[in-house]
Amino acid sequence: MAMSAGNCTVASYITDHSYFCPVLATGLSALYSSLPRKIEVRGDDWHFLRREDWAGVASLALFMNSLEFCSAVIQVAHPLVQQQLVDYVHNGFLVPVMGPALHKTSVEEMIASTAYLELFVRSVAEPALLRAFLRFILLHRHDGATILDTLVARLGTNSRLCMVSLSLFRTLLSLNCEDVMLQLVLRYLIPCSHVMLSQRRAVKDLDLYGRSAAKFLSLIPRCCHPESLPPPDRDEEHATWAKGHGSPSVDTSSVVTVPKPATPSRLSFFMRQQSASGAEGLGAVPRSPGLASPASSPGHRPPRWEEVAELDGNYLEYLRDARLSVDRCAWACRVWSAPYDGERPGPDSLAPTPAPALPISPDHFGHGPPTPRTKKRGLPEEAGGSSAGPGDSRPLPAPDAQDPGALVNGAPESGRPGGGAEGAVTVKKVRRCPQAEREALPTENGAPQPPAPGWEGPSVDSLLDELLARAPAEPNGAGLSIESFSEELQELEAAMRNGGGGPPRAQLPPPHAEEDEAEDEDEAFAAPPRPADPLAQVLASPPRALGPPPSQPFTGPFVAVLFSKLENMLHNSLYVNVLLTGLVAQLACYPQPLLRSFLLNANMVFQPSVKSLLQVLGSVKNKIESFAASQDDFPALLLKAKKYLIARGKLDWGDTPNAAPALRRSDTLVKSRKPSLGELLLRHTQSPTRARAAAQLALQQVREGPVLQALAGAGLFRGAAEKQGEALRVKNAVYCAVVFTEFLKELAAIAQAHAVTSPFLLEPPEE
Amino acid sequence: MSTSSARKRPEAEEKTLTGELRTSPPRTSTKKQLPSIPKNTVPVTKPASPAPSSQSTNGTHASYGPFYLEYSLLAEFTLVVKQKLPGVYVQPSYRSALMWFGVIFIRHGLYQDGVFKFTVYIPDNYPDGDCPRLVFDLPVFHPLVDPLSGELDVKRAFAKWRRNHNHIWQVLMYARRVFYKIDTTSPLNPEAAVLYEKDIQLFKSKVVDSVKLCSSHLFDQPKIEDPYAITFSPWNPAIHDEAREKMLTQKKSEDQHCKSMHVSGLSWVKPGSVQPFSKEEKTMPT
Repeated sequence: MAMSAGNCTVASYITDHSYFCPVLATGLSALYSSLPRKIEVRGDDWHFLRREDWAGVASLALFMNSLEFCSAVIQVAHPLVQQQLVDYVHNGFLVPVMGPALHKTSVEEMIASTAYLELFVRSVAEPALLRAFLRFILLHRHDGATILDTLVARLGTNSRLCMVSLSLFRTLLSLNCEDVMLQLVLRYLIPCSHVMLSQRRAVKDLDLYGRSAAKFLSLIPRCCHPESLPPPDRDEEHATWAKGHGSPSVDTSSVVTVPKPATPSRLSFFMRQQSASGAEGLGAVPRSPGLASPASSPGHRPPRWEEVAELDGNYLEYLRDARLSVDRCAWACRVWSAPYDGERPGPDSLAPTPAPALPISPDHFGHGPPTPRTKKRGLPEEAGGSSAGPGDSRPLPAPDAQDPGALVNGAPESGRPGGGAEGAVTVKKVRRCPQAEREALPTENGAPQPPAPGWEGPSVDSLLDELLARAPAEPNGAGLSIESFSEELQELEAAMRNGGGGPPRAQLPPPHAEEDEAEDEDEAFAAPPRPADPLAQVLASPPRALGPPPSQPFTGPFVAVLFSKLENMLHNSLYVNVLLTGLVAQLACYPQPLLRSFLLNANMVFQPSVKSLLQVLGSVKNKIESFAASQDDFPALLLKAKKYLIARGKLDWGDTPNAAPALRRSDTLVKSRKPSLGELLLRHTQSPTRARAAAQLALQQVREGPVLQALAGAGLFRGAAEKQGEALRVKNAVYCAVVFTEFLKELAAIAQAHAVTSPFLLEPPEE
Repeated sequence: MSTSSARKRPEAEEKTLTGELRTSPPRTSTKKQLPSIPKNTVPVTKPASPAPSSQSTNGTHASYGPFYLEYSLLAEFTLVVKQKLPGVYVQPSYRSALMWFGVIFIRHGLYQDGVFKFTVYIPDNYPDGDCPRLVFDLPVFHPLVDPLSGELDVKRAFAKWRRNHNHIWQVLMYARRVFYKIDTTSPLNPEAAVLYEKDIQLFKSKVVDSVKLCSSHLFDQPKIEDPYAITFSPWNPAIHDEAREKMLTQKKSEDQHCKSMHVSGLSWVKPGSVQPFSKEEKTMPT
């Protein structure tokens, strides 16, 4: 292979006269088919395949070796061979094997295939091969919906499938790949229709004075402030924290060794202030003419420091981590084609110049400002098709004739000129349906609505209406169980397969695997049944499901589903919340002004229909506070939860095997850092894979370990015996309060870090 | 060189800014003209701005923690670095973020060859307080510089400090500009003002004396003892050759350094396009 790199004849022989590439690629397919359909799950926190998970599974190890071999070949071989092999991997493995695998009917199989896909994407280091995977995920349509849309929809589920999907997106975000971010979020923000017109220029503004950070920190629920802890335990609590993050001196030294940030004095300034010897450090401030130095105005110090002390002392760590993450992300994104600052690409760039020969009728854009979805849909797969190999035989749904969606959707297309566009238009129509499904689905499931996407055709509304009309008929109420959920999922899949979700999408018989699923889910971590939860019911009420009128701005399904998951934090399991908040934090680290202003800028004024992250978090805050108010022993529970989380972190960090997957990309992802106490609470973003994995593991062991029994013995979750559901609900809520508080600190730190990102990182790389 | 001074900050030992180096920094773009005043700068001639920004009234600093103050100043410093003011270099003090050391090199005009060290004092209720103060180490002979304290009249340019509109780099730019465009109205140093108006020759010779005086004190110990204070020393090949070499090669090595440190991102988007994978293959930078 290496020889082919320098020798065109060898290369063309390999490509033209040997079966090397097809054999290699289809070999992947063969090996994939022998992978376990169902992943033996070790704990309810399991959400991705670590090396030790798969190294022992012969078939998976074999597959990974083979994938690595492909990667190696692509790395060294002649471009001809490289190209051919990549095409075969795409057309001979991803499309025909991975695509259907991701759409299997049983949730277990979906979980397995999603976890496999995540493992593959995480492991493939060779950009050309990774490109094939990403192109498959972003552009390939399986039964009418892109893989990406399907995966995004699954984030809205309430099961392990959600967790596995969350880790897949974590991996995707960690690639810092422009194409991924474009499809996931940025394309919805580019039109700038989510901000008030007068605010558009503010998109680029940096929040210099920490207003946004202050806003985030102000959302920490009152019940989570240290002073609301029961007094006797307070000292103990602080002792634990202090130990976890080292004495000030320890921290100072570690701060000083931070490579880039270049503010040792600033940071150690804080440390000194916090330490007992703070006064003398300040006293050393040289006298200066008329300068009111911090030392000279001790009068208003104490209240401020109290405010900081309330941060449990770990805010500095968040600041440091945020700085590293933001810098790293900014650095990585310098290879991107555009800054995404509201000007480049311009707000109109999505409308007039889509791919050539775009079969979108003018009146598609007729009503109001074109919504992002329109454009997205208008993106025919052919756009990326130039590189699609010869054998690219995607199973596109047949054209209009047999597509029920065509009828539903007829009106907007009426003016469409020419017939050459049939295929693409079909695709367009079909893609609406999963959207509609997604809308309806959580309603039935009792989960909150994802902020409704922008519909652009009345036809869709009618479809939606139909779905909604069906919804109340479902045995929701008490029955919003996993069973009904997975049934919904099946229907969703089936509907997609039917290409439209019209009449034919009558109930499928529940698949055989379902009982297993349900069982598994129940015993594991499914949110407790909460039919009585008024909030959930409010959220699930039909009016909200109708979504904004067609012309209203829409920030994309990904953001929508993340926000709706966040709103539901109180009911999510601890593991889902850790993953979810990690993903949002990851998103917040991206330096593109469009994204940064959308997520983090508290001064930004959005269109009324656009929900901001702050609004979402505000509603979570209220829910936590009202929960705390209803729970007499909340302070004690919170303290215990914190303590045990910290203790578990300490206990298990040492033994946690390095969860780093073996292949190359992981080396960069998984920055080795010293495990420290409280690592879970301090949800380190720069080492997502390992830190979180270890935290998960730690938690899991704790959960089942003696500590939990002690906990139960202490009568904390004493309802557990009689009312398991209630206990689970309380437990989720208490853990949620802890995670939420830490999440706010993390976001605040990220918001602050954006203002001080080194400009050198943003400069174009030297030639 | 504000850039290089920032780069050097991680290495806390590097406190020396050699006077000789001023010709070598990779600043090829030193245009001999004043930068235009950005729109959001308060006009010098208009002391009272009629509409103070709404933000300055609400959001008092009392509600902000020291983290915000610290980060605000850090952000201000980042802005200074981005601004790349020609011939102006600052370095926050080690002990307090509220005090910045700086030096201005005047490259042409009446004050040509002037090297003026100064210190910026930022009020501790920044950004809601008064404008920062700028004090030259030696009182430069200038209508707007107090002949005794060496303080520059910054207030006239920033009568009301408006957060989000006024930034410290503007103060620095103002400090640089006063040496190129002499303003004699309501002077702090009336003698200088009068001479400038009445006897430009004498003014010039006084300026030359002042510039010489400053240069003769260039190698003095910094007025304020601080590990990050800017000090000058005569050229010493043992120390400075290496530093110079490093400076000249810095860009490259830093680039590589960063590459090893950071994960590179991916992009297959053709510039100008908003379609994924619109770029032709194999142009991917790895």
